[in-house]
Amino acid sequence: MASRRGDAIADSRRQFLKRATLTGAALASPALPAIAQQPPPAEAPARRVPPPNLAVETEPPPLDPVNQTSSGGDFMVDVLKRLDIDYCAINCASSFRGVHEAIINYGQNRKPEILTCPHEEIAVSMAQGYAKIAGRPMAMMCHGVVGLQHAAMALYNSWCDRVPVYVMIGNIIEADKRAPGAEWVHSAIDPAALVRDFVKWDDQPASLQHFAESAVRAYKIAMTPPMGPVLLSLDAELQENPIRDRDRLRIPRLQKVVPPAGEPGAVAEAARLLAGAENPVIVVDRYARTPDGVARLVELAEALQCAVVDQAGRMNFPSRHPLNQTFRRAAVVGEADVILALEMNDLWGALNAFSDRIVRRSRPLVTPATKIITINSRDLSLKANYQDFGRLEDVDLAIGGDGEATLPALIEDVKRLVAGRRAALEARGRRLADAHRASRDQARADATIGWDASPITTARLCAELWAQIKDEDWSLVGNGLRILWPQRLWTIDRHYQWIGTSGGAGIGYNAPAAMGAALANKAHGRLSVAIQGDGDLMFVPSTLWTAAHHRIPILYLVHNNRAYHQEYMYLEAMAVRHGRGVTNAHIGTTITDPNVDYATVARGFGVYGEGPITDPRELGPAIKRAIAVVKRGEPALLDIVTDPR
Amino acid sequence: MRSNVSPIAAAIAALLLGAGFAGPQAPQADDVANGRRVYLEVGCFTCHGRSGQGGNFNYPAPALARTSLPLEAFTRIVRSGPNDMPGYPASVLSDKEIADIRAFLRSLPGRQPLDQFPLLNQ
Repeated sequence: MASRRGDAIADSRRQFLKRATLTGAALASPALPAIAQQPPPAEAPARRVPPPNLAVETEPPPLDPVNQTSSGGDFMVDVLKRLDIDYCAINCASSFRGVHEAIINYGQNRKPEILTCPHEEIAVSMAQGYAKIAGRPMAMMCHGVVGLQHAAMALYNSWCDRVPVYVMIGNIIEADKRAPGAEWVHSAIDPAALVRDFVKWDDQPASLQHFAESAVRAYKIAMTPPMGPVLLSLDAELQENPIRDRDRLRIPRLQKVVPPAGEPGAVAEAARLLAGAENPVIVVDRYARTPDGVARLVELAEALQCAVVDQAGRMNFPSRHPLNQTFRRAAVVGEADVILALEMNDLWGALNAFSDRIVRRSRPLVTPATKIITINSRDLSLKANYQDFGRLEDVDLAIGGDGEATLPALIEDVKRLVAGRRAALEARGRRLADAHRASRDQARADATIGWDASPITTARLCAELWAQIKDEDWSLVGNGLRILWPQRLWTIDRHYQWIGTSGGAGIGYNAPAAMGAALANKAHGRLSVAIQGDGDLMFVPSTLWTAAHHRIPILYLVHNNRAYHQEYMYLEAMAVRHGRGVTNAHIGTTITDPNVDYATVARGFGVYGEGPITDPRELGPAIKRAIAVVKRGEPALLDIVTDPR
Repeated sequence: MRSNVSPIAAAIAALLLGAGFAGPQAPQADDVANGRRVYLEVGCFTCHGRSGQGGNFNYPAPALARTSLPLEAFTRIVRSGPNDMPGYPASVLSDKEIADIRAFLRSLPGRQPLDQFPLLNQ
């Protein structure tokens, strides 16, 4: 993506020299043919070829400086350090060369440290995964036009996922300061317009003081629930020009972010409904921002002895808690008389069944008498164009506020109201515990089907992985499987053991986001593992180079079903509907002929790679070898040929 | 020795078939082989797995290994397609092919006793 403003200047110098040389040559050449039989003319005065004007060619015009002792980029780094940003993922570009150089030299490449990414999508997704473990944003920089276009899909994912990503783009505002060529096609009046529908806030500061204030404001906005990506467009002149009056510049304080909590009266009403219910159910999605969130939800569920359905947008509720009824969702919501929905991404989808057929129909899973309460920070900030907010569900009490921040008050109110109902609640809890055990036994029994088959079943893959990590301080930083085998088979009880998925279902998220999360885990010495779809990896294979280059320990298990499998199934459904060509559904959907050798691809990027593994008996030893590599601080990849789902 | 199976015994047999134990009548080898071929060729495995272990389309796709569904019910389901499963017309799957697929599925090992799997008892 880099272009060189210096090349434009050098070009103009070369043109001058060429013209000067041609002029001199023209003056020196004998232009006329010899004229015979004529007396020689009187001797003409000698023509002088002016020497090259070296001063013009090699020296800048007088009065313009050639060195500088400060630059706007230095001040920008001062601001970034005040924001406590550890990393800045970039794909380098001329339009932010000023702040880039300031980071690596003035800022000594610390806080932030530059992370080199071969694609802007990798940089944004890496930041998205990082934030979900670290609890604060990573910065990301790219070209304001072409770089931002590359980054757009990943930004959409982070918007849908409600994750803070701190984006800075380079741009050249002043037309008379743009060199001919690339700098014009890479400039825009309003570069953020491209992504404004899916960033929370953006600005294009006109001065360094403006930058300081907008930078602090942007951080606060990104981190206030509903969180989301923010964007600052940095003018190249502002980055590169010397600072005038540095002493007059002031960096505002970064205030502590206080998440909005639900209105107390509404919370009290919610508590009354829940405490009085016969079959209350909690449905939860992108709720737990911190480990406290998990603890609070457990406290609430245990106070109510109610079912919890975890939609796995984050790690919200322990997988083996007796009240976890995630894999009985249709049954429990069908029996519920009160439902509390916390930070749901798609409440309508959780409470209704929808048929993708020629005539699309839906039916509610809940009874008409069911009372529905929502606590959702997303209600406080929505945009219209992209429809990520989902279909409107009829609710009885909609509380705008952050789930985790609202729960303490709700728990207090609930506990007061259920104080005299202990026996009834415990009976309810026992029934749910029995149902949870039965659900878990069913999962284990289901996992035995095809246990020794090749291609390897996804259940076998997950069981073998669990055997190798269960005694480690592990973190599942990505899962490309559409079946939640880890949630069905593993013991997941810590907030960092699962980070959710892309949000916007944009493919090319899993590999870099997992890497970003692994980078955050590195500081804690955790073992990061990711089940990686092959199709997703094909979008961003150079993620592996970044992992190798920056020594990010992560184990990728490629769930290699050799297809964009969801679309493969869709094509089959279309063909069957028409009664034709079902055997053609592989066209445009499968990744075969040739089969990709992901282990070799990995090694080419400097990553330990093994595979393709087709015999399930080889899985355990291969995972063990790869974990040894990861524990040395390096990434590793296993290519595992699996059944589709 | 009885030559007719009582209704209660038949129900128990169907239940045991679904739980992964051997049934009273084994499918014919040719039907099973053809059923496997069609199951893979038409793409049933993409949702239900090569071993009939189930999977996921827009919703979970059930495990079909050792299915205990009677042929008539099985055929009705394949033709009509519940939920998001497409309904397969005769131009895509003949009645014989559906029967053979069912034979193949009933020949699969299915769920096994958990005590044989240390990894699932961790």
